[in-house]
Order: sequence, then structure tokens, then C-alpha cells
Amino acid sequence: MLDWIYTISSFRFALLTCGFFIAFSWLGTILARPILRTFVKQRDSVNDLVGYILSCFGVFYGLLLGLLAVAAYQNFRDVENVVTSEASALSALVTDVSAYPDPERTNLIWNLRDYTRDLLKIAWPNQQKGIVSKEGDFTLDAFHERLIRFEPSTAGQEIMHAETLKQYNQFLEKRQQRVLAVSTSIPKIMWIVVLVGALMNITLVWLFDMRLMSHLFLGGMLSSFLGMMIFLIASMDNPFRGEVSISAEPFAQIHTRLMEE
Amino acid sequence: MPKMILQKLQLSLPVNTQLWRLIGCCLLLAIVMVATGCGETSQKSSQQLIEQLIGKKPPDPIPVGILFSQTGSMSISETQLKHVVIQAIDEINAAGGVLGRKLVPVIEDGRTREDIFAKRAKELVEEHKVPVIFGGWRSVDRKAMIPIVEKADALLFYPLQYEGNESSRNVFYGGLTPNQQILPALDWFMSSEGGNRSRVYLIGSDYVFPRTANYIVRKYLEGKGMQVVGESYVPFDHKDFTTHYQAILDSKADLILSTINGQSNIAFFREYVLQGLDPQATPIFATSIGEAGLRSIPATITTGHYAAWSFFQSLQSPLARDFVARFQAEYGADRPVHDPMESAYTQVYLWREAVEKAGSLSAADVRSVLEKNVSFEGPGGPVKIDPKNHHTFKRLRIGRVLPNQQFEILYESPEQLQPEPYPAFAFPGWSCDWTAGGLQSGPPVELAN
Repeated sequence: MLDWIYTISSFRFALLTCGFFIAFSWLGTILARPILRTFVKQRDSVNDLVGYILSCFGVFYGLLLGLLAVAAYQNFRDVENVVTSEASALSALVTDVSAYPDPERTNLIWNLRDYTRDLLKIAWPNQQKGIVSKEGDFTLDAFHERLIRFEPSTAGQEIMHAETLKQYNQFLEKRQQRVLAVSTSIPKIMWIVVLVGALMNITLVWLFDMRLMSHLFLGGMLSSFLGMMIFLIASMDNPFRGEVSISAEPFAQIHTRLMEE
Repeated sequence: MPKMILQKLQLSLPVNTQLWRLIGCCLLLAIVMVATGCGETSQKSSQQLIEQLIGKKPPDPIPVGILFSQTGSMSISETQLKHVVIQAIDEINAAGGVLGRKLVPVIEDGRTREDIFAKRAKELVEEHKVPVIFGGWRSVDRKAMIPIVEKADALLFYPLQYEGNESSRNVFYGGLTPNQQILPALDWFMSSEGGNRSRVYLIGSDYVFPRTANYIVRKYLEGKGMQVVGESYVPFDHKDFTTHYQAILDSKADLILSTINGQSNIAFFREYVLQGLDPQATPIFATSIGEAGLRSIPATITTGHYAAWSFFQSLQSPLARDFVARFQAEYGADRPVHDPMESAYTQVYLWREAVEKAGSLSAADVRSVLEKNVSFEGPGGPVKIDPKNHHTFKRLRIGRVLPNQQFEILYESPEQLQPEPYPAFAFPGWSCDWTAGGLQSGPPVELAN
């Protein structure tokens, strides 16, 4: 919904989120309080009533935020594991193809080198923008083509070739999981519920009857906490995007190794 | 002080004033709408507002089509060209882009199939709206792309050496034509420096390039000091050259002009050694083998043979060394760099120069600038487009294969050679001048001997 949030630093994003909710809270306290007071005017126990409603609302909203934060963190960890597994499978594949006779060996190593280079220079920056690149597909198609064209001439080569094909399939599986994770995020409808819920929380605070300074202080505290929670969930929602994202370091290490092969 | 302001503010908001209530409600509603992104307009305006806050939005990038075979039998050769085109684009972007805009490569795979080349070229110009495509290796693939770029009025930059006998206003040919490669090389072989050779045997793969090139050679050598003593063609991936070498031996040729392409070269060179031929007495002059092709053939059986290109990896000019070093730093020190790669790289810069001078991406404007002598100092030396036929003025270099699978450069033309896709002695009545009259067709030419 708001892709630009991943183009700014985490610090700036946190400031913007908290600032937005605090501004909304304070603006409402100053501007809407006179209007809202007309609804609850001359009712003695207005603060008790608002406090009761706010605590009920807060429980459900808190649960929603808490579960979302845990889910976002869990998803982040899962995708991180997928990336690590993909890198491990790729590393094993490099070891396998290094044992092939030339010129197959060189051609296969070049394919894997191109793949990691494109992954680091094109695909990874693209997936940080939420875009899935197909450059890697071409290179892997060429790699697969060469692999299946290879005819083992000894029993040892046959075993090695079978193991390489198996390793390649494992690598493809992990890669596919990573590619799918690029577009996986909290649904837009859920974000709307979270944001509207946060704004409703703040609106309820406006209904309290108290001194303006106290009102601004309490409203500001609640708003900044809501802002922080939403910042946390949004930061971890897309594991490849923004400053809090999964690093391509495992692939960078493999690329360095391939450049030396 | 803040307390006073707040008190004043509170006082200035009379509870009974309808106007203040209305303003307050409208303001809150607007904040809620912007925050939740309700409606396209508010979302878009909030995006614009944020973009203004976090910095000016960069201008839209320029999509650039890259269409080479990344799979199929040609992938091993063509992938290298994709790499250098991307390298040139990266360098141009690092220097600020073109017309202040970044270039974004849109990469497609031709899969070594002309029908796929046509399909992907159509997608590039129609869906991705690329103003230019850098691509193609085989002549059939180029010929499949030409109608597409002509219809869409886009530009195609084709980097390979080829047979000539073609011209399109939407295509810029970056490789050598036979009059820039094969014919001057034959002149050199006829000279004392090249061994005073007088009997040449023509052998090639059976497709358009060898057939046309050999036709031009036959016509060129008529009345010259060199005689064509035999001619034969083999299918792609042909492996048994016994009978062909028998014919070569019988003909007493002192030079073999090979236009064999692809994997057949391994068997061709192997059989040469088995037949006991000597590169000093009867060398092979291969028109389609460069540093990359040599890699798949054992060095012991190619050493001493010849090739003619505009660029060799062993070229020692600072620009050439820098180009090779930058490519190998990016893709690996074991990767050979060869002529079509240099040509593909240089063409991206030629296009950039033309777009900058034209101040526009339109094919007509860029073409018009390129037809007014745009030049570029490439790794292989200065190059410029011939305004008449859209081919490229280039230097010729003749090299002999060394045991390290590199070339020792033996000859370099003193200046850039003018391209001629329709040599008058081979294609009488045919000519091309896009600055005046365009393509003039002559009588049909029969290529077969």
C-alpha cells in the first residue's frame, strides 16, 4: 500500500510513524475535543465510561497487534532460513560441478557465477523493491540444459552426475520458496484494520475529560507506542525490503568463491 | 510560554463556533483518508507529498532491450554479449545515464530459435516500449527481428561480423563485412608477409554466412593471384572430415579458408593434425573462431593457425587492456574477451552518443544523428557509422594462434576500413545509400558455385 516506507531509513520511518500518530492525537485533542465534549457534556462518570470502553477495545486491538508482530517476525525468520538453505544448496552444487571434466566444468561454473552475480546485482536489489526478476531463470535454464546434456563416461561420473542433479533440484526448490516470499506480505485489508483501529484508539482518548496538558501527554504516549508497534510490523512485513531486511551475504560469499574457481 | 500558547489556543477555539467544528472534522477526515490510503487520488497525492518530503523523484528510466540466446546451442557465445551490453549500461548509468535518465536493461532469451527471437523482439518493442534492441548473433535471428523493428520504428544494433548483402534503415551493423575481414585478409595471405599463398580451399558450415561469404570470395579472387581450388560445406555439428581433407590434399591448397561454425571446429582441427598437415605450409584461416571458440579446442591443435578480427584480447592499447580488465574483474579472470563482445559493447556507447546529440530517443532522430558521422573511441580503436549503409568503419587485424589460446597480432590495417555490404563485383546493380535514394536492387544473384 505504502511502498515508499521501504525507501527511507528505519530511523526516519520510525520517526514518521510515531510523529504521524502523535500529530493526529494532538491535533484531535486540540481541535476535536470541544466537539466531542458536546456528546458527553454534563455526564459525571464520562472518564470511567471512556476508560472502560478503551480497555475493552485495547485488549482486542492489542491482541491483533501482538499476533501480527509475532507472525511478521516468524515469517522473517522462516524466509531467512530459506535464504540460508538456498545458499547452502548452491554452495554444494558448486562443489559438485567442480568435479566435472572440462569443458563442462568451466561452462557450468560460469553459469553458476553468472547466476550469483545477477542475483547480487540485479535480482536482490529488485526483490528489495518487491520485484521478481527473471534473469536468474535464463541462467539456470542454461545450466540445466548443460547438465542434462552431459553424458557420464565412467561409473564414478554417473554417481557424481546423479548427485548433482539431486542437489540441483533441492536448490531449485529453495530458490522457488525465496521467490514466492518476495511477494508475501500482510494483506492490504489487514493493514486497513490495523490503521483504522489505531486511529479509533486515539479517538477514544480524545473523549477523556482532563486538563489539556495531561491530555496531550497521555495521548502522545499512547500514540507513540502505537506508532512504534506499527513501525515494527511494517519493517518486518516484507523480509527483503527496507533497512530491516535479509542480507545477501551468503550469496556474496559463494560468488567470491566462484570467482576464484 | 508553551502553556500560555496552549491556553490562548484553547481560548481561541470557542465551543459554540460551528466553523471551528467543521474545520476540525474536515481536517481529521483528511488525515484518516491519507493514512489509510482511501481512494486512488488521495493515495497518489500522499505518495507525491512524501516524495516531495524525502527528495525529488528521479526521471523515468529508459528501457533498453537486450536480446541474445541465453539457452540453446548458441548460449555459450551469446551470453557473453549480454554481459558486455550490461557492463556498458552499468558504466553509462554510473556516469549519469542518457539524457539525465538511467538505462534499465530489459533482458530476454532468444533460445537459439529465430521464431523466439521474433516473438521476444515484438514483446520488447510493443510491451516494454524499448526504443532500441541490442541483440542477435546468427543471421537467421537478425533477419527474424528486422521486420519487427522496422514495423515499430525501433532500432536494432547487431554486433556480429556477417556476410553483407543486407541493409535496413532500422539496423546498425557493428561487425565486419566480408570486404573488411575476409577479402583484405586474403590480400595479406597473397603478400610475402602472409606467405605468398596462391591456392585456397573454401570449407564452411552449410548456411547463409559461409555460402554468401564464399560467393564473394570467388568473385573477388577472379583475376587475382589466388585461385579457389575447392569448396565444400558441412552440416552443423558435422564430425567426420576425412573426405574433406582428402579433397584438400588432392587440391594442393596452401591455405584453407574455414567458415565452419560451432562444435564442428573441434573435429575439423583434430582431423587436420591426424592428416599430418603443417600450419606453416597449409594454415587454416578461420573466420568464425575467436578467443572464446579456441577455449573448447585443445591448444596443441590450433596453434599456428589464423583468424582476422577487428579486436583481439591480446591488443595492448590502454583502452583495450582496460576493457578486458573491467570485464574479467566482473565476470572472472578465466573469461576470454573476443571481437563480437567488443563490438556489442561499443555499439551501446555509439547509441548513447547519438541519443545525447539528438536529445531524443526517437528512432528517426537517433538515426539522423548516426547518419552524420557519430564516432566513438572503443576498445578496438575508433569506430564510426557509415551514413550510407549503417555499417561500421573498423580496423582489421590478423592474428596467429599462440599456445596460450591467445592471438599474436601480425597485421593491423593502417586505418578503418569502409564497410560495403554490396560489393559491386559480387552484387552488380545493388547499392545502399540511406542518405540518398535508399536501397537500390539489382538483378538477383545466384550464390551457388
